Amino acid sequence: MKKQLGLVFFPAFDWAISSTHPERQERLLYTRDQIVEEGLLDLPAIKEYKPRLAEYADVNRVHIGIPDIAALITDAHLVSAGGAITAAQAVMNKEVERAFALVRPPGHHAMRMVHGTRGFCTINIEAIMVEHLRQHYGINKVAIVDTDVHHGDGTQDIFYHDPNTLFISFHQDGRTLYPGTGFIEEMGSPNALGTTMNIPLPPGTGDQGLHTVLDELILPVLNDFKPDIIINSAGQDNHYSDPLANMAITAQGYARMADKLKADIAVLEGGYSIEDALPYVNVGIILAMAGISYKKVVEPDIHKCPSQSKATTEYIQTMVTKWQDIWRRRDVLAKQAKLDAGDFWHRKRSIYYDDSGISEYQKESIRLCSHCSGYYTVETEADRPGAGLQTAFAAVIPRAACPSCKAAGKDAVAAAKRQGHHKYYFLQDKQQDYLEKL
Amino acid sequence: MLLGIDVGGTFTDAVVVDGGRVISHAKIPTTHGRLLECIAQAIDRSLSELDVKDITRVALSTTIVTNAIVEKKIAKVGLVVIPGPGVEIENLVPLPPVVVSGYTDHRGREVAEILEREILAAGKQLRDCETFAISGKFANRNPQQELQAAAWLKRETGSQHITVGSQLTGALNFWRRTNSAYYNAAVWPCFRDFSQAVEAALKQRNIHAPVYILKADGGTMPLAAAQNLPVEAIFTGPAASVFGVMTMACPKIPAVSLDIGGTTTDIALWQNGLPLFAKQGIAIDGYPTSIRALRLRSVGIGGDSHVRLVNGELKIGPEREGPAMALGGKVPTVSDAFIVAGLVDFGERRLAEQGMASLGSSKVEETAAWIIDQAAQQIVQAIEGIIAEWSAEPVYRVEDIVHHAPFTPQLLVGVGGAASGLVPAVAKRMGVAYELPVGGAVVNAVGAAVARPTLEVSLRADTAAGDYTVAECGVKAALSKSRFTMSDAQELSRHYLLGRAEQAGIAADDMEVVQQEEFNVVRGFSTVGKIMSCQLQIKPGVLTTIAGFSKEEWQ
Repeated sequence: MKKQLGLVFFPAFDWAISSTHPERQERLLYTRDQIVEEGLLDLPAIKEYKPRLAEYADVNRVHIGIPDIAALITDAHLVSAGGAITAAQAVMNKEVERAFALVRPPGHHAMRMVHGTRGFCTINIEAIMVEHLRQHYGINKVAIVDTDVHHGDGTQDIFYHDPNTLFISFHQDGRTLYPGTGFIEEMGSPNALGTTMNIPLPPGTGDQGLHTVLDELILPVLNDFKPDIIINSAGQDNHYSDPLANMAITAQGYARMADKLKADIAVLEGGYSIEDALPYVNVGIILAMAGISYKKVVEPDIHKCPSQSKATTEYIQTMVTKWQDIWRRRDVLAKQAKLDAGDFWHRKRSIYYDDSGISEYQKESIRLCSHCSGYYTVETEADRPGAGLQTAFAAVIPRAACPSCKAAGKDAVAAAKRQGHHKYYFLQDKQQDYLEKL
Repeated sequence: MLLGIDVGGTFTDAVVVDGGRVISHAKIPTTHGRLLECIAQAIDRSLSELDVKDITRVALSTTIVTNAIVEKKIAKVGLVVIPGPGVEIENLVPLPPVVVSGYTDHRGREVAEILEREILAAGKQLRDCETFAISGKFANRNPQQELQAAAWLKRETGSQHITVGSQLTGALNFWRRTNSAYYNAAVWPCFRDFSQAVEAALKQRNIHAPVYILKADGGTMPLAAAQNLPVEAIFTGPAASVFGVMTMACPKIPAVSLDIGGTTTDIALWQNGLPLFAKQGIAIDGYPTSIRALRLRSVGIGGDSHVRLVNGELKIGPEREGPAMALGGKVPTVSDAFIVAGLVDFGERRLAEQGMASLGSSKVEETAAWIIDQAAQQIVQAIEGIIAEWSAEPVYRVEDIVHHAPFTPQLLVGVGGAASGLVPAVAKRMGVAYELPVGGAVVNAVGAAVARPTLEVSLRADTAAGDYTVAECGVKAALSKSRFTMSDAQELSRHYLLGRAEQAGIAADDMEVVQQEEFNVVRGFSTVGKIMSCQLQIKPGVLTTIAGFSKEEWQ
């Protein structure tokens, strides 16, 4: 009989960013204790899987590492990404109904271009998993719901031009928390407008606010989008005890969300209340995903959870209404955005790598093609301590590129190389599935 | 002289080991329902020409606990649990428990108190129960609530036995500890009666040597200790066989051992001269427990396995339809193939040939070879299965994923009645050498005779909280020094293991660390302490190796 839940548990007990960093050996220790003590790994509904190592080809399908990805990551990153892939495979091979990759290090702040580590993330484990599924299992439409307290800016970046990936992130408002992005106006580039949905929540949002957003916005939108598969970037730092954020969600709030969302695959992201939250939140999510009662999963210090203010409740209701309206008019808005932009849509950004101390400056151009989602180019420069100025030009050819975009993308990178303004040149051809350094 | 007894499903064997040789043995049909009878007979037969005063140790591998559970000859148990928040355990355990208040968290801190009135009420509610089991979540991190509840329960009920979950094992897994505690309490009266009868029978024969009981992990425990932990004496047959292999032909290179009997083949894996242990405890009646066992896999192929053609395809086992045709059976068996192939010699060859011919071809040698090859193939598949399972077991460190060395067996060791017929064919398929130690037919009794006592303790120190726990000893105490290191943890574990061994009356000369972990406790970007755990055990092994048998007929 098919098991309800496949669980890839990989606490990486021998890996840390540094010895006192939140991403350290101890992070999932108490979670391990709780999961094992509860006997979860022995329940007939749950099957534990050993993670595989992701291959560099899996990583290069998503990222462009400067100068190359191998120089920027450790084996732990390959195990973490591999764990997400293992979880997905268990679902795709119909061994389990759904799967949870409870792995570290996390990935949702890692963008397509990688110069270093930002927000504790170097490579984006969900994106690597999603693209692996598209390459090997013929999956097309994907919805990613990011329930971490921080805006999933890396995942947003990777899928910003992809109309087949619906990225929904709710998070503590960027005006009050890292990474400072994730506002409603970031809705995807014109060819993919509306497939990025940011829901910034005020500090102090509790279970009530979260479930309003879920019931009135996220679930109906998922229902409209009709994805082949739903992924949950399951960060747990919305918890009331998290030391890095200011929200008021409980283990019950998280478990009920997992129960409603019914994600095919969940992947752990952040969550740094390692003793008071993670053991309970993880047990709640695991039980909910396995279809087992989670009613009795309650934090011992639940009395410390603040209640949601009336102002917050009203604010959330207003925002939900606003988004419902945008979602209804998304086609009209996309048409207008294309008209406004012309043949190409451009954006310039600076990106900060807090863990590596790197500032990156980036220019993107995407062709607003009427036959496909359009090829795009990325120019990047970053001053990396010890390595000097790193500059690169890359062209990305999407999976469903039309012949014209495919040729134009290749020409663009060849032309850039002839001009010679950059140190490195890349062609990421998602149709032929390779990353070439020219 | 060491006396070893193995009560098996069909036969009860006794052997006497002396000076590295088996000097006497006896094989008696097992008298089901009256186990003491066959045990006494086997002892008498094996000692008939020996002086009982020379017996220095008696060790017993017995089905008493396994049978008690299978035949439901178990006590009515009052099960009391202290689960706190989390999984609803009520429907996961063998009988509805009484749930009481109280909670200890993952660091062993009491979060909610237990209430005397609730425990006393539980005692009243369960007053018709013969024995009790009490189990609390994270009691292995702090046994105080379990011990207090047990004391109240004892006062209220006057019960002669209360099993306390954390004293069975210091390992995490509340569900497994609860199931173990339940089964331990359930088999307690039955085992007490049995052990008293064994003691009386030995006394009657003037045997005053200490008596040991084999455990599922192949270690032994003194009979007195076993009376508190009877559930540990479950499923000991395969462990006895593996320890018999260890004493007769201990493989020093990566190896597979096969015990090929009448209907099944038991497979064990070997590394560094020791069998591999299972990562998880065994399941009893489908309930996972914390009882440690060897890593074994059983496949339904043996000498008596029924051989037939189904739609032109050869099918072997797992059923047994009677003895070999060579011995007057009605259907062909794997043993008939051995006889025709000239691998063994018993019974009437003519009848075995008829059996082969009944499978459709007059070329009986070819048919026999085909059967042996097919049977070997099924065993090889099962060996590959257990190796794959070992290899797929989750690990929690990057290092263990990246540097995972595959298990590649280089030797096959075969014991059991049908080993000589099948082991060469299995070895050939695997491309490895093989060994068939002499005396494989009484290997279980030999294993019981020589298996060393084992014992363990699990220490967990939390320097941030300033305390430590040794669950098996019911200890939670303050750390005496402020700078406590891993080597201090090992030293403290050693102290408790020595104490426990002394209390049980066993020698603790060869200890080993089974598992240890050390984590920094960081709060607010500074290190405030360490959490260390250290599991120490008296190393499993054998008291002596056996060079041979003094009687030549054992082949």
